[in-house]
Amino acid sequence: MSSQNNTMKKDKKNSFNTPEGYFESFNDRLMDRIRKEETNEAGSIIPKTDGFAVPNGYFDEVTPTVLSKINTKEPKVIPLKINRRLYYGIAATAAIFIVMFSLTWESNPEPLTFDDLANAEIEAYFEHTDLEMTSYEIAEVVSLEEIQLNDILGDDLEDDIIMEYLDENVDDIEELNLEDIDYD
Amino acid sequence: MIAEETLVQELQRGESRPKAFEVLVNTYKERLYWHIRRIVLDHDDTDDVLQNTFIKVYRNIEKFKGESKLYSWMYRIATNESLTFLKQKSRKMGISDQELKDKMVENLQADVYFEGDEIQLKLQKALATLPDKQKLVFTMKYFQEMKYNDISEALDTSVGALKTSYHLAAKKIEAYLKEN
Repeated sequence: MSSQNNTMKKDKKNSFNTPEGYFESFNDRLMDRIRKEETNEAGSIIPKTDGFAVPNGYFDEVTPTVLSKINTKEPKVIPLKINRRLYYGIAATAAIFIVMFSLTWESNPEPLTFDDLANAEIEAYFEHTDLEMTSYEIAEVVSLEEIQLNDILGDDLEDDIIMEYLDENVDDIEELNLEDIDYD
Repeated sequence: MIAEETLVQELQRGESRPKAFEVLVNTYKERLYWHIRRIVLDHDDTDDVLQNTFIKVYRNIEKFKGESKLYSWMYRIATNESLTFLKQKSRKMGISDQELKDKMVENLQADVYFEGDEIQLKLQKALATLPDKQKLVFTMKYFQEMKYNDISEALDTSVGALKTSYHLAAKKIEAYLKEN
């Protein structure tokens, strides 16, 4: 303990010196260095600008362009002040429309089905909708056991359709390499 | 300059909404433009995404609860719009996200609105090698000089994680520039 005290006393008496104002400016210099390191300014070879430019006057056009889009896309507000005669007129028209619609509806018993969707519409849906799933992810969600061949084909294949297909497309029945094996 | 809180109140009130929205667009159009431009690189694409961003802001301003700064909220929308735009673009072109990034940098050489020299082109090539998050953090800090707290709100990431991402990105870019 006494030797430690002696060392400290020696240090206080030592001949080391610091530049004038060193400790007063220490905080500023430290903060400056931290800031430089954070923004990577210290001797970095990374350029300070990235070279992008915009057409002349572009930023002046942005506001009117955005505002015009907002105005055209905003649905028009219709005032609710309508007089009684107009109200009866609208009600009568609506009643006629409902009667005609229900008659037309009954005369057309065919419900809309998946087949009524045009292929182009289905393709457009998959093209423009961000499903955010890869085919691998879809395969993970839908297990193989849940998928039947008929889910893809739509209708069961009749035997005569299979025979007709083979008749038209297979020249030599031997190509099928069928053997009369009884698996029972 | 109008205080953010007042601007939000005016944007959420019917009668003052159009005027307040004009103020909002004028105030943030340049900052958001440069943020989007550094993600999608092409000027025309940036213009499309910027307009979509403002339209989304306008339609969703009533849902803004003031839990973050309006400015950070708009950055978040702009970031999502930009990344979604790139994802859709790569899907339409039938190429991977990385292939699209490489193509975007390649296109810069013929872009009349890119005035960068060789080193700036190399910088873009280096940025294209980074993961999205690291690239975002680096450009927001280095070029847009945003504070870590603001980036943290915009990207919903802790300041500590952002600092790590930034330093990793800077080291990777420096290494790329030295090697090439």
